[in-house]
Amino acid sequence: MLQKSGLDTKQTEEQEFTAEELASVDAIIEHYKNKPGSLIPVLEEIQEAIGYLPKSVQRRVALGLSIPFSEVYGVVTFYSFFTMTPKGKHTIRCCLGTACYVRGGKRILEKLTQTLKVAPGETTSDRRFSLETVRCLGACGLAPVVMVDENTYRQMKPSKVSEILEAYE
Amino acid sequence: MPRLKIEQLYKIKGEVLRSLVLDTEKNRARITVHMGTCGISSGADKVLETLQDELASSGREDISITTSGCAGICNREPLITIERVGEEPVKYADVDEQKARQIFREHVLDGNVNPDWVFARGWEQKDVDFEGPPSGATEGTSHIRDIPFFGMQDPVVMKNRGLIQAEKIEEYISRDGYFAAAKALYQMDPDEIIAEIKKSGIRGRGGAGFPTGMKWGFAASSRGETKYVLCNADEGDPGAFMDRCVLESDPHAVLEGMIIAAKAIGSHQGYIYCRAEYPLAVRMLNLAIDQARNYGLLGKDILGSGFDFDLEVYRGAGAFVCGEETALMTSIEGKRGTPRPRPPFPAIQGLWKKPTILNNVETLANVAQIILKGGKWYGSMGTRRSKGTKVFALTGDVRNVGLVEVPMGMPIGTIIYDIGGGIPNGKRFKAVQLGGPSGGCIPVQHLNTPVDYESITRLGAIVGSGGMIVMDEDKCVVDVARFFMEFCRDESCGKCTPCRVGTQKMLEILTNICEGKGKEGDIETLEKWADIIKNTALCGLGQTVPNPVLSTLRYFRDEYEAHIRDGRCPAVVCSAFFKSPCMHACPINMDIPSYMALIRAGRLNDAYKVLLKTNPFPAICGRVCDHKCETKCRRATLDAPLDIKHLKRFITDNGSRPPVTPVPITRKEKIAVIGAGPSGLTAAKDLALRGYGVTVFDRFPEPGGMLRWAIPAYRLPRNILDNEINDILSLGVELRCNTRVVLQSEGTSAAEGSDISWDRLKKDFDAIYLAIGAQQSMPMDIEGYDLDGVSGAIEFLRELNLGKTPYVGKKVAVIGGGNSAIDASRSALRLGAREVTILYRRRREDMPAQDEEIHAAEEEGVKIRYLIAPLRAKGVKGRLKKVICRHMSLGDFDASGRRKSVPKLGDEFAFDADQLILAIGQKTDDAIHMEAAGVTTTKRGFIEIVEGTKSQTASPMVFAGGDVVSGPDTVVGAIAAGHHAAIEIDEAIREKNGESAEVPVEEEIEIPVTIEEEIQETPRVCLCESDCAERIKDFREVELGFSQEEALKEANRCLRCDVEAETG
Repeated sequence: MLQKSGLDTKQTEEQEFTAEELASVDAIIEHYKNKPGSLIPVLEEIQEAIGYLPKSVQRRVALGLSIPFSEVYGVVTFYSFFTMTPKGKHTIRCCLGTACYVRGGKRILEKLTQTLKVAPGETTSDRRFSLETVRCLGACGLAPVVMVDENTYRQMKPSKVSEILEAYE
Repeated sequence: MPRLKIEQLYKIKGEVLRSLVLDTEKNRARITVHMGTCGISSGADKVLETLQDELASSGREDISITTSGCAGICNREPLITIERVGEEPVKYADVDEQKARQIFREHVLDGNVNPDWVFARGWEQKDVDFEGPPSGATEGTSHIRDIPFFGMQDPVVMKNRGLIQAEKIEEYISRDGYFAAAKALYQMDPDEIIAEIKKSGIRGRGGAGFPTGMKWGFAASSRGETKYVLCNADEGDPGAFMDRCVLESDPHAVLEGMIIAAKAIGSHQGYIYCRAEYPLAVRMLNLAIDQARNYGLLGKDILGSGFDFDLEVYRGAGAFVCGEETALMTSIEGKRGTPRPRPPFPAIQGLWKKPTILNNVETLANVAQIILKGGKWYGSMGTRRSKGTKVFALTGDVRNVGLVEVPMGMPIGTIIYDIGGGIPNGKRFKAVQLGGPSGGCIPVQHLNTPVDYESITRLGAIVGSGGMIVMDEDKCVVDVARFFMEFCRDESCGKCTPCRVGTQKMLEILTNICEGKGKEGDIETLEKWADIIKNTALCGLGQTVPNPVLSTLRYFRDEYEAHIRDGRCPAVVCSAFFKSPCMHACPINMDIPSYMALIRAGRLNDAYKVLLKTNPFPAICGRVCDHKCETKCRRATLDAPLDIKHLKRFITDNGSRPPVTPVPITRKEKIAVIGAGPSGLTAAKDLALRGYGVTVFDRFPEPGGMLRWAIPAYRLPRNILDNEINDILSLGVELRCNTRVVLQSEGTSAAEGSDISWDRLKKDFDAIYLAIGAQQSMPMDIEGYDLDGVSGAIEFLRELNLGKTPYVGKKVAVIGGGNSAIDASRSALRLGAREVTILYRRRREDMPAQDEEIHAAEEEGVKIRYLIAPLRAKGVKGRLKKVICRHMSLGDFDASGRRKSVPKLGDEFAFDADQLILAIGQKTDDAIHMEAAGVTTTKRGFIEIVEGTKSQTASPMVFAGGDVVSGPDTVVGAIAAGHHAAIEIDEAIREKNGESAEVPVEEEIEIPVTIEEEIQETPRVCLCESDCAERIKDFREVELGFSQEEALKEANRCLRCDVEAETG
């Protein structure tokens, strides 16, 4: 079974990533190789290094850690932090936790989807922005909250959306 | 760094404490910038940079800048604390870079406190507070412990809040850090540790509330060399951030707790599972672990005790379910985070099948203090079964947002109102959500409930992790239930069918209800599935998924029913039900956006026609309505709501009243309307337009009801009133004034203006609409009620409006806080009273009267005194001379969510008055014979309506509506009742005849659409009023209306929410 998917004629990792990037992937796998239960930290660090986790990379991880590809795939698709498609240059996280929702988070999200013309979970066609919704960034005192990359914007209003997005190239 | 022994802990503590002491030579001043995540995202990092910059430029070496974690009050961030030698510390709030510079130069360097920016004096924690007197400059500022938000808290978990840098282990040690670990490792054996924890009574703070000592006991007695101590730092409940504060600002508290736990159960390895959404927390934890290891406080041979224990941080990857005990362990094992069935319990077989304990961050943060101060100390706080303190994250529609730590058992209303400062923007409290997606809502009638595990569970909610989200009247509980179900559906791991399928199915039903597609039976289906899922789901997530739905159904079933049966979202949130929120909030659904657009287009005559489609009294409403529409106006989220009421008045003042042509009577049935008030006249108009012959009876000489007899002319000029009533009569409605409805035996005479009997009515008319209102004042059962000079407000106003000259004293006392009290007060002034004082039993914010009215009364010189209740009236020779009153204080909450006023014992005083007007409520006419009419009444004397209808009474073909059914309500409420009654009367008649329903055809008016591309903040236009000193000389109209220019400016602020809905 594994062999069949291994022979998929999808893009191989050699075509997608640079030699450097692949080297960093292998280094991460090597570091955690003998530690049981380290799949999640491995995937986290690889995603931090190369941006996303396509099937090709997942297969590499499976081979390197000696676990079935299906298990790797299962973990990648279970946890919301992992993505199999590249993200935009900037990640917008619109909080829809209870406090933000109660203070109008839904309308902020509507304005964002309207302005960017993508739905949550998608990336704009020019790869500038990825839009995500998060459940609670834990800044409920400043609701409604939107994060763009590491910057947190507090007490958001739909009218402020365009202004904030313009600051990001 | 050397591996520490206990003596060195003392040494470090001493060194740090000494370094904190300010002196006049090397350490004159210190600035602390508070930097938790909220602080940083509010700009605290820039404030820090600015201060460091200023310090460098000043060249001073005797001033230091330090940081700490979160200060606790989120919406006032960034906060900084300034300490100068010999002076009390001072906190500034809402600091930006500019303010920081100024504060440095003026306060830090020169000692000049800026009173406008200062937030409070002193430190929250008593044990570190400054012991000297307050300095002159800050005397006027509250001490931080005098601010209820802080003073009413009990910081145990939060004991280091605002005091230490998380990045410096030495500062933690200086606050007695690691001394508990030393005690546990050297002086206590595992049994003693567990006994102490059991004595404290602490229960798991993550939400389940399982006794911590018991959990540790199970793990301790499990066999095995390898055991694990886990910390659940996955705080995934939306709305909860208590743990984040501890992890970012005081991480060592968690580490120390885990060391002690490890000794208790015999473990040498621990993990802290921290959610990835908390990057700062992860960083602080890793830093703390490094520093602890370097000092030999983690790793091998801790403090030389021979005990080994090491810790690692394990980052989550964005799955709420991984906060569940077994799912968390499965996640650490590198798998999909799905839970496992129990037994076996983790204390026997947990992580990697070894005995494991999993404790929440807050639970662990208490452990060190329990060991140092003893379980008895901890158990002395809280209630019998819920001991200790709990940290709550108070957020939502509340003034003071932040982390609140209080002893278990504090009433929830105290937390929301006294600590939280109550609901902002004049909104009413609706419910508070406790326990996140596993929890439930507590409504207004339970505000006195103590917050402890058992009491909250009895109400159908859970204490949970501590999230406390306050919701005001603008939140729809069905929408909130749907929100939580959507969250759970997204986060369900999928392993067990009840949760995986159940959340999806329940979500579908809830979504349908919110989108106007709800069906009869949906509620029952939700309840059935809730029961099944609760009892069959594999883990806590699934088992508690139905809680928000069950809880909201328990207390707000009528809201669900309104969505399903009436096509209404009472909170005006679910946009599928309305074009614009203002329309939906209006009891008669006036088409506000349309007439706004017509004002902008200058088409006032068309605008007038739009008004009349739904409202027979637009000129009146434009003067006296309580404008619920404005409370839901979306513009309020930008600057201020539109002045819809006065724009409506502008149309009626400046557009032409469409001419009225009589409507031919095409139907044979005759309708009798009893009461020529707004409700009766509305029904009469609607029925006349449908071709019925209508006769309106009224006992008073002129029509109008409360519009004429209660509302004074300075609010509603008589010609405006007469015009609108005449327009209805001109349709062909017959009016018989001075006519009462009586029992046959009271005798009648045939002359005009005489009475008519019930029997006659029932014989001559095919349907009767009872709309007699509630036009009598409620009496007050006090001694002296029958003295001359004591009267009811409604009777006083009626005498005035009948053209008689009612008695007016020189010193008038008015009891009550509603519109009638204000109307009576302002009228008494105009009639010559020298002093008019309103005595109200509660506070200003509790007064039901419209704000504008209270404000206008005060401008005119009416005095209002609060928290006063009359005890008895005393007179001389039968004439009132004084009112004996008593001061009141605020007690528990009543069912309306307001604090009851309770008498202050022994505190009576005499209030001189020669007139006492009682405006404490209204009742319906005593003389009307309800039994003869065949209707049934409630305990308070109002007419009962058959369930499922709006106006049908127990007697066939007798209908009722308006104040006589609802009790005193608004004009627009009465109009709505009149509309509903007309529809039901028409339907009932048609049904009797076997005819089908027919709706009268309306004129189509084309409404222009202009959307603003760019919306700028613009304040609300202020309405002009007559000069105060002049206007109280007579009853001329006070409000003068908008000019053309003002009206256009105000109407331009309309966002046309109805158009948004169509193109969105």
